Formats: sequence, structure tokens, C-alpha cells
Amino acid sequence: MSTTVMMKRIAEASPRFKARMAGVFQLLEALTAGFGQVIVLDRLVVAGNAAATAANILGHERLFWLGFASLLIGVAFHIAWALLMYELLKPVNRSLSLLAAFVILVGCAIQALTGLFYLAPLLILGGGSSLSAFTTEQLQALALMFLKLNQYAYNIELVFYGLWCVLTGYLIFRSNFLPRILGVLLAISGLGYVTYLYPPLAYHLFLPYLAVAAALGEIPLELWLIVMGVNAQRWKEQASAAEG
Amino acid sequence: MIAAGNHSFCTRAVQSRSVAGARTMSDTISSVPPPMARITGVVYLLYFLTAVSGELFIRGIIVSGDPAATATNILAHERLFRLSAAVGLIATALYIAVTVLFYGLFKPVNKTVALLAAFFSLVGCAIQAFGSLFRVAPLVVLEGSPYLSVFKVDQLQTVALMSIKLNVQATYIYLVFFGLFNLLIGYLIFKSTFLPRILGVLMALSGLGWLTFLSPSLANYLLTYIEVLGIIAEASLMLWLLVKGVNVQRWKEQSSAAGWRS
Repeated sequence: MSTTVMMKRIAEASPRFKARMAGVFQLLEALTAGFGQVIVLDRLVVAGNAAATAANILGHERLFWLGFASLLIGVAFHIAWALLMYELLKPVNRSLSLLAAFVILVGCAIQALTGLFYLAPLLILGGGSSLSAFTTEQLQALALMFLKLNQYAYNIELVFYGLWCVLTGYLIFRSNFLPRILGVLLAISGLGYVTYLYPPLAYHLFLPYLAVAAALGEIPLELWLIVMGVNAQRWKEQASAAEG
Repeated sequence: MIAAGNHSFCTRAVQSRSVAGARTMSDTISSVPPPMARITGVVYLLYFLTAVSGELFIRGIIVSGDPAATATNILAHERLFRLSAAVGLIATALYIAVTVLFYGLFKPVNKTVALLAAFFSLVGCAIQAFGSLFRVAPLVVLEGSPYLSVFKVDQLQTVALMSIKLNVQATYIYLVFFGLFNLLIGYLIFKSTFLPRILGVLMALSGLGWLTFLSPSLANYLLTYIEVLGIIAEASLMLWLLVKGVNVQRWKEQSSAAGWRS
């Protein structure tokens, strides 16, 4: 096979391959970030009970570290996913896809910073004599408070993620190479996440509305990207039309 | 006669060649999509409105140096307090849009500098968004959960006020990056052919003003001047974009000279 033919094949495979990888990174992000921010915390945090939470964290220190690491790896997957979606959707509208990429980069920076508050309880509870100016009960209360701050910081990330979903949903809707319904569903789930602007409203709507919207918005897109990729022919048509 | 005829033939040939040349040139220029100057002005205006109203919401709530009064106010106006944080986040999102639009507008002038400006602004936006956490954190401390009863009430109130001070400090950090952004945008306007140079000078000066927040005590000393300069610079740029837009012909010329079309 000559180099030209090979290069051509790679170029042909590229949009579909990018789409599949985007789906894979989306799945990996959901698994790792979900494990860190949801599963580990659900297992260890006892709402309103600082002493029980502290005992759980110290009793499962390794799991807690794993949750922290998983959270950060999730941010890396998130950035890779967002970059691939930017590349895929650039032919639809260059400015809007750049806006979506910038919005999610801000979101990812905040997602990474939540790690600081996630980790703080370990420093506070395992600080030993250097923290003896506080009573044990006070330190336990501080640890629980930092986990609440982690939740608040995560809420901010969700707002930017929601905006990204709305923009990306619109771009998918306007594309010729992905089913329009996937865009509509993603945009609806994005609007749900935007309610985290006012967290009491989001908590109120979470079950069933936000949870259902998120599942409907993200799972079909993820599966479509992994299994079907994009229509490579149409992607190329739209890309060359955009370059005019 | 013959000479004259030849001459006129030559003239016509030269004319037609230059007309053809001008046509291909103007074809290239007209194929450049128009700049989004007015939209930029509109989004810029929306940013100002949300940013200012977010601050106005909490104007009376924070009593500096009085943790107890501040705590009472926050709890009495919890909705307003949360709204101010929400509106602040919307302002940040709008500023990300301003950043993308400015990048598109000034890419023809110098792509690298335009991208650098966008990246400075993006870091600033991330800090601003993260800083808003310290605006809402007092609610975590003051909500009266039983687990916090191991602290004295005035301790919690002090922590709440400290968190608001951290929010202000985060704003100072954000302003430094905002200053770098304004400085570079000022430079790009100055180098552009499609906006008045004076707008660039004003933006660069306002950028230098925000950079004084590297030393918050210096910035606070000069605050009135910095704010007035900032308002004049940004309001005039915003109004110019909103009312006059940019010189579209010159923008297209500069962007086709820079060798890109979409």
C-alpha cells in the first residue's frame, strides 16, 4: 500500500474514529467521576453525622484516596472527550463549538479544584497533634463541612457542564452527521444541569426529573458514538462546505 | 493615429487586467463571513448588566467588620444571597462568550496574540467561577446544622465573614487576568484597521489599571481612578461595537490578508 493510500484511509477513518473515542472517553468520565463523587461519598458520608462520617473515612482511607484519584482521572477524560467533540462539531459552527470548548474547560478546572475539598477531610482527620488546638468533635465537624463545600463546588461545575450540553446539543441538532434527537435530548439534560445555578431548585427537581433527563441525554449519545460513530461521508461534506 | 490606437488598446488591456485582478481580490474579500461585531456588543452589554446586578444584590447584606450582623443579613436574605451567586455565574458564562467573540474579531490582526488573550481570560473566568464558591460557603457554615454546634455561634459567624473576604480576594486574582486580557485586547484594537485606535489605548490603560491588583493595597489606594478608567474604556468599546460595529470592509481586508476565510 502506498503512503498516499494509507494516509487517505486514515483521513477517511478519522471522523468516525474520533467519534468512537469521544464515546469511550464520555463513558470513562462517567465511570471515574461518578465513582469518586457519587459512589465513594455515598458509602462513607453519613448526612449530618460528623462522627460517623469521620469514622467511615478513617476506616476506609484507601477507598477515599481511590475516590480522590478517580475524580481527577475523570477530569482528564472529560477534557479529552470535550476536545474530540470540539473537533467533530467544528464544521457545524466554528464559533459555537469553540464557545462550548471554552465553557467546559472552565468547568473542568472547577471539577479538578473540587478535589481540594474532597481531600481536606483526610488532612483534618489524620492531622494528629498539629491540629490539637481543636477538639476531636470540632475536627470531625470541619471534615464534614469540607465535604459539603466539595458538593457546592461540584454544583458550580454542573452549571458549566449543563451549558456545554446545551451548546453541544444544539450543534448536534444542526449537524448532518448525527441524529437530531440525540442533540435535543442532550440539550434538555443540559437545561436540567443549569438549574444547579440555584441548588435548592436542582435538589427539588433531582428525582425523577433531572436524573431521568440526564440518563436520556447522555446514555443514548454515548452508545451511538461508541457503536455507530458518525456518518463519515456527511461529516466530510459538512467540513468541506464549512471551509468553503 | 496608430500610436494613439495602440496606446488606447494598451490602456484598455491594462485596465481590464486590473479590473480582473480587483475582482478576484474582492471575491476573496466578499467570501469572508462578516464579523460578529454587533453580537459582541450585545453580549458585552449583557455581561455588564449581570455582573453589576450580581454585586448590587448583596450590597446591603455584607457589613464589613461585623460578622454577627452579616450572618443575620445572610440568613434573612438567603434567596437574594443565592441569586447573587447564580447571577455571578451567568456573568462568567457571558464573559466566556465575550472571550470567544473577541477572539473571532481580532484573529485577523494577530492570531497568536488573540489566542493568548483568550487563554488569559479563560483562566480568569475559571478563577471567578471557583471564587463564587466562597460566596455561597457562608450558607454551609450558617445553616444551623446540629453537627456544627461544636463551634460557638460567633466562631461560625467569623468563619462566614472570612469566606466572603476570600471571595473578594479571589476577585482580585481574577482582575489581574482580566487586566492582562484588556491589555492585549487594547493592543489588538490599536493594531487593527477596523476600530478607532483611541479605543485600544483606553482598553490597554484600563488593563494596566486592573493589573495593580497584583498589590491589592495599591489597587485600593487607586481604586476610584482604576474603576472610572475601566468603565470609560469598556463602556466606549461596548457602545462602539453596539452602535457602529466595525468597519466591515477593512475587517474583511485584514482577515483575507491574514489568509483565512472562515
